[in-house]
Amino acid sequence: MKLLKLEFYKCRRRKIVLVCAAVLAVELIWMEAFFTRQDTEDLKWGWMLLLYNLAMVDAIVLPISVAALASRNCELEHKGNTWKLLETMARPRQLYVAKLAWGTLVLAALLIIRSGIFLAVGIMQGFQGGIPWGRFGLFTLISWAVSMMVYTLQQGLSLRFSNQAAALVCGIAGSFLGVLSMLFPPALTRCVPWGYYGLLALVGMDWDAATRVTAFHWQWPEPADLILLLLWAAGFLIVGRTLFVRKEV
Amino acid sequence: MNIIETHDLCKQYGNALRVAHLDLDVPEGSVYGFLGPNGAGKSTTLKMILGLVRPSAGSIRVLGKKMDGGNRLSVLQQVGSLIESPSYYGHLTGEENLRIVQTLRGVSERNIREVLQIVRLDGQRGKRVACYSLGMKQRLGLAAALLGYPKLLILDEPTNGLDPAGIQEMRELICSLPERFGMTVVVSSHLLSEIDQMANHVAIIREGELVFQDTLEALHGRSRHHLALRTTNNAMAGAILHENSLPCQEEDGYLILPILSDELAAQFTRLLAERRLGVIRLEERQKSLESIFLELTGKAASL
Repeated sequence: MKLLKLEFYKCRRRKIVLVCAAVLAVELIWMEAFFTRQDTEDLKWGWMLLLYNLAMVDAIVLPISVAALASRNCELEHKGNTWKLLETMARPRQLYVAKLAWGTLVLAALLIIRSGIFLAVGIMQGFQGGIPWGRFGLFTLISWAVSMMVYTLQQGLSLRFSNQAAALVCGIAGSFLGVLSMLFPPALTRCVPWGYYGLLALVGMDWDAATRVTAFHWQWPEPADLILLLLWAAGFLIVGRTLFVRKEV
Repeated sequence: MNIIETHDLCKQYGNALRVAHLDLDVPEGSVYGFLGPNGAGKSTTLKMILGLVRPSAGSIRVLGKKMDGGNRLSVLQQVGSLIESPSYYGHLTGEENLRIVQTLRGVSERNIREVLQIVRLDGQRGKRVACYSLGMKQRLGLAAALLGYPKLLILDEPTNGLDPAGIQEMRELICSLPERFGMTVVVSSHLLSEIDQMANHVAIIREGELVFQDTLEALHGRSRHHLALRTTNNAMAGAILHENSLPCQEEDGYLILPILSDELAAQFTRLLAERRLGVIRLEERQKSLESIFLELTGKAASL
């Protein structure tokens, strides 16, 4: 707990709030731009349309955002050569866990605020039907779970390499692959960590080529995909933590 | 009592043995100078003592306790360290940096003000560390090491990057620590003159091997005066010296013998003249600490 508090203390003036605000702004602008181009017929899908597109925007925006957050949190240790000081007062695995816990809380706060904003957007847009509180809650949880899996990967890279370019390039590649993987067959999407934003989306889309009509439907994530998500996260956690703990400073 | 004891300590990187069978004994209450050329293995040894680097072989005892994964952090509660360059968060102020260490060490907040005063940074405590000079960062690193008033302070090249005034200030501070706070200080350097002015015990390391370990007085003892004699026939002169029970050895065309009283020296030169040996040179010499260091390390005195 002491180490977790210190993570927040250390991140003073690291403009973490600004990074989060930028993520929210980009998602909001993107979605606003999307909805202004929709006609009345499309808008009748309301909440489904919102959650379907939000999953797509997440796949583009969150990988790079998560990489940036992990990098902001880990870079300060490399820059100040602080490992050799910290490791005389705390075990490396405790430091690793504290950083991961920091990411957990920051991402949870970011995604809860994000969901709150888009709930407000939906209500203001006057979407038809009742507000899908449960699905919004589940969507937030899935976004957070996938982001945590990606964060675990990014933290491992940011801790391993003092030059943060490697981690950030991985984040950029993740953003690209995240959205591209939505076009892949599901079996292939499962092999792309960033593809889980789309894979676990709560809304599916059917496009009829003959009538050129798009229809949306609610769907539930496959249990196998949730297990795979956990396996990816566990893999990144074990490898990242082992490399960090074994590294001599 | 020894506050640090290492036995047969080794560190191997690939095929290279960077630290080889090191047996260090650091007496409690001493300022222990750890001297050696760059790349001799000083930092690696100090990191092994702190548990930051895993030894390939050997054992380490700090404050009477064997250092292992289980008790490392509890032992290090009483150890302050500054290894190589200082550790700091540039975007935080000096005081905020110390607050992090204070929280982790679980010591009183009052210590922050005190150590800032000790290292004379109290006037700069609200300034971001990124704006500090290297000397100020070094002093902040020392403040962080002093924060818990540890029994043992390990400082790796603490005067690196300091200007002459800063070096003098740091040196005086280090020398005062055993008396003021009862600390034992281990300070490494590649500069003999620096250790000569700070330490009372010295270890010299060369290519990972310990080549000298004793008091500073013992090191100075090696720099004793001696006489260098050159005659027309050194072999015969040497035999005469032995006949008179005077130890000598030949070195670079000179016979090296201990300092003789004026009376004995006069008597001896008369004896040589009686045996028809001409005295070409009779010089009083002193080995400098630098030349001893050179002999021990096989390198120049300041490396």
